[in-house]
Amino acid sequence: MTDLQKEFNSYSKDITMASKDENIEKAISRAVKSYRQTTAESLERFPHTPELAAEVREIKKTSIANQQALLKQAMESVERNKGKAFYAKDKQEALILAAKIIGTGKTIVKGKSMLGEELSLREYLQEQGNDVWETDLGEFILQLNKERPMHILSPSIHVPRERVAEIFTKFFAKEVPPDIAQEVAAVRDFMREKYFNADVGISGANVVAADTGAMVIIENEGNVRLATGAPPVHIVMVGIEKIVPTFQEAMKVTEVTWRYAQYGVPGYVNIISGPSKTGDIEKVTTYGAHGPKEFYVIFVDNGRSTMAKQDDYKAALHCLRCGGCMYECPVFQITAGHFGHIYMSGIGAVWTAFVAGGMEKAAPLVFTCLRCGRCVERCPMQINVPSMVQKLREKIVNG
Amino acid sequence: MHLKKIKCYFKFCNYYLLYWYFFFVFANNIFIILMIGVVRLKNQYGTTPYFIEYIIHRLKLFTFGQFFNLIIIIRLILLKIGWDNMAVEIKLPPVLEIIRGNIVKNGNPLALKGSEVAAWAKDLKLSSQGDLLFYTGGEYQLLPYIDSLVSTMTVMDQGSKVFSFMMGARNLINKTGINAEKIYASVLAKDRERFNSISYKAAVILQKLGYDLCYSGDKELYSGALLTELGFNIDMQTYAHKVSKVFRESKAKTIVCLSPHAAEVLKFVYPKLVQDFNYTIKTFVELIWEKRSNLPQISLNKTVVIHDSCRLAREMEITEELRDILNSMGVSFQEASSNRQWTTCCGGPNKLLYPELSHTIAARRINELKETDADIILTSCPYCLAALLGGQTKDDNTIIEDLIEYLYRGFEA
Repeated sequence: MTDLQKEFNSYSKDITMASKDENIEKAISRAVKSYRQTTAESLERFPHTPELAAEVREIKKTSIANQQALLKQAMESVERNKGKAFYAKDKQEALILAAKIIGTGKTIVKGKSMLGEELSLREYLQEQGNDVWETDLGEFILQLNKERPMHILSPSIHVPRERVAEIFTKFFAKEVPPDIAQEVAAVRDFMREKYFNADVGISGANVVAADTGAMVIIENEGNVRLATGAPPVHIVMVGIEKIVPTFQEAMKVTEVTWRYAQYGVPGYVNIISGPSKTGDIEKVTTYGAHGPKEFYVIFVDNGRSTMAKQDDYKAALHCLRCGGCMYECPVFQITAGHFGHIYMSGIGAVWTAFVAGGMEKAAPLVFTCLRCGRCVERCPMQINVPSMVQKLREKIVNG
Repeated sequence: MHLKKIKCYFKFCNYYLLYWYFFFVFANNIFIILMIGVVRLKNQYGTTPYFIEYIIHRLKLFTFGQFFNLIIIIRLILLKIGWDNMAVEIKLPPVLEIIRGNIVKNGNPLALKGSEVAAWAKDLKLSSQGDLLFYTGGEYQLLPYIDSLVSTMTVMDQGSKVFSFMMGARNLINKTGINAEKIYASVLAKDRERFNSISYKAAVILQKLGYDLCYSGDKELYSGALLTELGFNIDMQTYAHKVSKVFRESKAKTIVCLSPHAAEVLKFVYPKLVQDFNYTIKTFVELIWEKRSNLPQISLNKTVVIHDSCRLAREMEITEELRDILNSMGVSFQEASSNRQWTTCCGGPNKLLYPELSHTIAARRINELKETDADIILTSCPYCLAALLGGQTKDDNTIIEDLIEYLYRGFEA
């Protein structure tokens, strides 16, 4: 018998403590304000966005309905581009596939990825005897501080600059003042050397185009550009729900994602379809010119295809991970990622149930949701989280 | 919970049958061996057709038996490797079970008596039948009790047995001998009076605007919104029939709900559960809005800010109506930065499981509303009212009121 009361009790203590944490309060209020302002501004500047979002909703709907066919097509496209495509049924398979490609004793630079969190990828690769570095600044801070992300896009949203300075001073063994520019510079210096000495770069992907096998990765820091470009091997680990039929459609999904993710216009949009190559000498195609010689894509299922078959929940797979809903969630606003288990807030509760943790971990989250529905107002995919939460409650209550 | 008991019984049966079955297969085998022995003995003296037929018959049974045997073994293996994990029984936090039990057994989440819930209507002498049913669902009347129980909860460990007894109060009164009246007596008389009077005021306002109301009195039952909300859909299926029986007795065509939660569940859930549930469901706000030209002017010299309730604003899409009503009464009001369909939740919905969290959310919402420098926060939902009042700090003298209370000022004289 699963005694949910125990799960509820420890979670309840954690979330209540978080709701009294001044750092979280300060950081999130600031973040919410800036999110709403930037998003409003960029929606005004690009007024076609809501219409485009409606189009993307349809794209995602058909993509999820044809998931298996698209997966097959995407894998073939990757292979045709001289990459290697794999399908991992679950977490275990995904990790073993990655470990087989990487081996042991390697240096790995990694871009931020929620799938990576779902798989505990960094921890696993470290256990396998590798040196793994998170290149996203927020993730890097958390890696040093041994914490889990508190937001899917701004993982260290709750850590103020003073605390960052403390962490960096200790790690770099030199004085880093609580000045954001200097903190950023310190990481830049440290990371630069890692990129060029790394054996493997790992990234996720925001969207995958099945027809061309293109991986689209949105970013601002430029870390993904370096981590996927400099090392001789690039591994993409991506959830199968990210695949859409065509390149053109992928671009639409990409634009909607960044617009609602408060990027305005993102610094970089990377499109990677295969290993680096050149035909400049005698028109002989040779791989590994300046970029990686080897390109691997691991498509991870881990419960997603089960979810796609359930009418009540399949729309949760439309999630673009823009994180907009979290800023609107009254619970998230006072507790940050404590309202979550890997995936956060209401939509996170649904993902937890199917993909990351199961019902036991999802139950306390499912009952935390206020079902107030403001996330639906924000969501470009209009995912009806309150109704899914209610269905999950029925599932929990009826055993 | 009855469902779980059934499940448990099946599980028990599985194992129980299994032992019997092994015994049966075993006995069967022995019997057949014996029989073959007998046949052999008989053979020495000449075979009879009867015995051959009998053996074939036993052998058929035997193979049949082995087939089931195999199924049971496969099932056991599957159980062992965790295939059946989803069917594992889950023990819920007691507070959920108590709320469920109270609604199902007593017709409201806190097991108040029908006469207590209907006490406000004594002087109004409302008829029990008519076209327009005035439906309180007991929700405003219950508010002070919810708060008293939540405060009990906050100081007690939710997992403890004592806690379940306390929450069960009247539900468990026969088993434990704890006096529910004593717990409920801790509710302040002035609170009880205030929340009871809201239903009274609402009825008076509607009557003065020319609506002819009927009321089910002590027969009135809670809408069951919490059953749906918390996932007790199976209980809701039977409960909805109980409630709609009371509606049928009123012979009403239209039901006016004071609580948006009740309106939501009557409008969207009941038609799926109850056949021929053809009532027009209206909220108090809508009825007032329809007669807004008859509203009196209110000049209080106090600025007002509207707290849109989530259900009203997002599910029922009632936002402009509230503003129209205030405009018709000549009331100047402010808009909060998060309003209309972007309104912030009061934190009420998770009060039962996470009271402290709920409290913080309410306090944050009050701060948002106070950024407008308004003197009065107006809401139109019992849970918003209770949650916001609960989240207010002691030194804060902003008035938090229900729209009903505010309107009543114009009808008092």
